[in-house]
Amino acid sequence: MSDTIKHRLWEIIGRNTSDAESEWLEQKGTSAPLELMTAFVAAPRFLSKKIIETTDEDKWELNTEVPGFSVENWSLVRLSRVWLVTQLDPSDKEEYVKNVDTLFDTAEMNELVALYSALPLLSYPEQWLFRATDAVRSNMGFVFDAIAFHNPYPEKHFNELAWNQLVLKTIFNDKPIHLIEGLQNRMNEKLAVTLSDFAHERWAAGRSVPPQVWRLVSRYMTPTILADMQYLYNSENREDQKAAALACSESSLINANYLLAKYTDLEKAVKSGVLTWAELEH
Amino acid sequence: MCLNPNESAPNPSHFEESEETASAHRDIAWNDYRDLIKGMRFFDPHIHMVSRTTDDYQAMHQAGIVALIEPAFWVGQPRTGLSSFKDYYSSLVGWERFRSSQFGIKHYCTMGLNSREANNEPLAEQVMEILPLYIYKEGVVGIGEIGFDDQTPAEEKYYRLQLELAKEAKLPVQIHTPHRDKKKGTERSMAIAIEHGIDPSWVIVDHNNEETVKSVLDKGFWAAFTIYPFTKMGNERMVKVVEQYGPERIMINSAADWGISDPLAIPKTAALMKMKGISDETIRLVTYQNAIDAFGKSGQIDVTDFEGGYEIDQSAKFHGNSILRGGQQPEPVKDSLVIR
Repeated sequence: MSDTIKHRLWEIIGRNTSDAESEWLEQKGTSAPLELMTAFVAAPRFLSKKIIETTDEDKWELNTEVPGFSVENWSLVRLSRVWLVTQLDPSDKEEYVKNVDTLFDTAEMNELVALYSALPLLSYPEQWLFRATDAVRSNMGFVFDAIAFHNPYPEKHFNELAWNQLVLKTIFNDKPIHLIEGLQNRMNEKLAVTLSDFAHERWAAGRSVPPQVWRLVSRYMTPTILADMQYLYNSENREDQKAAALACSESSLINANYLLAKYTDLEKAVKSGVLTWAELEH
Repeated sequence: MCLNPNESAPNPSHFEESEETASAHRDIAWNDYRDLIKGMRFFDPHIHMVSRTTDDYQAMHQAGIVALIEPAFWVGQPRTGLSSFKDYYSSLVGWERFRSSQFGIKHYCTMGLNSREANNEPLAEQVMEILPLYIYKEGVVGIGEIGFDDQTPAEEKYYRLQLELAKEAKLPVQIHTPHRDKKKGTERSMAIAIEHGIDPSWVIVDHNNEETVKSVLDKGFWAAFTIYPFTKMGNERMVKVVEQYGPERIMINSAADWGISDPLAIPKTAALMKMKGISDETIRLVTYQNAIDAFGKSGQIDVTDFEGGYEIDQSAKFHGNSILRGGQQPEPVKDSLVIR
């Protein structure tokens, strides 16, 4: 991890803390591991409970340093905890891994959120893979969100199986997939096929699927998925129809294009750029 | 550790009073008393939610309970290793806290080594080593529930060690008083706390009854009462205690757990007090405010988190995303035969 990112985070902390708060953090950030880790735990006792303010410049610079990494709308405690973790000395791998593991093993919910948010900044990234997939298994919504959304770690390190599990679980929990970093880059055929199966189960139960998930199938259109598109065009929900139009327009399958052509108003909206996936992102 | 399965005999005074209270209000249904406590907010400073169902959470929320404290306790059978303790402590600040938030109830906890398991000294030693990792966690409002059960030397040893821990961490102490030989056990617990230089206004003595309350209040401690069928206080007796002693430094809890207990003990007792003509302000103090004042000394209770009714959205917003609701549980229609 670069020092630049640490400095960036510290700058943001500086702008969002009182003198007493930043002095406390600075002292703890340079102390021995055990004291630093205790400060990680005790942070809410010394820092005010508030959401930090960030600028567009912060956003841009963090994203340049670690693509996809963002601290927007974080609480001060979360940001400070992430910064404290970046202050752990990684030079002795065994010691470093042991310390981070201890933080994970004894973490409460908000600490877990901070730890998973810090994953893209930790040294020895491959070391945290199992933990990261454990967060996807978590039933604690906030912990799941911390690994799934605005977090570049999964895109970079998850294998296909783990990645698909992350996306499917997001959909299963009715959470918005567009907040996942790398959604476009990590599309794959297996995911598309599983999604289609998942939709059939939901439909059989009289439930629905969030329309934007169909953005994940357009590159992998099969006859079965094409039939799903027809099902969507027939849906009474206008957003299902829009999703079908968008997915068909992105497909290279000729039959998908034929199908789209049957719905002239939708075809027009897609081709003119009036209709995009952004409209379905909620 | 609130119900002792070895003491299944009903509390005698419960029956002694039954004749007098066999009034029209004896078996009053929720629908009848709901109006009496309309708009009241309750804080249950002692309840073991890991043993309770989602039905309980929903009923509690509906009855006006906005926040609670879950003390670390005995899980009904002895733990055999340190990891069990670790996972239990983690669950109090992790999964259970989250589960509670899904039902709109703010969840706090106290951390400690309970008196029964203090008797397993080799394990107790290990637990004491990891305990400091947990007591500084966000939302940990005290060391508890600690104190005496059989009143053995081992219990005394770990009680004392944990009093020192509380002092160092500047946390209130929640004392469990024993079922057997309660009066002496209570006196002894208080004497030891004072011996360790702990200010009685930082100590909540729990599971009081008519026999122990006077001494506890006279010495400046908080007196908590557990409304728990058969083995502890009944709420008719509780009303009398409040009539006699007033609301100062008195608080009520349910200590509901894996035994036959009632997570609605506080709202029910509030309704009963209201029926008996106890003032709204007194009811507010013993069912809400006093617990906040006592455990609030930890610096971990921010009433703005729940006083307006604890909205899941507020908490979700605090986690940086107001769109995601962190999985708030929808409310199913309970009396419908059809499950959707």
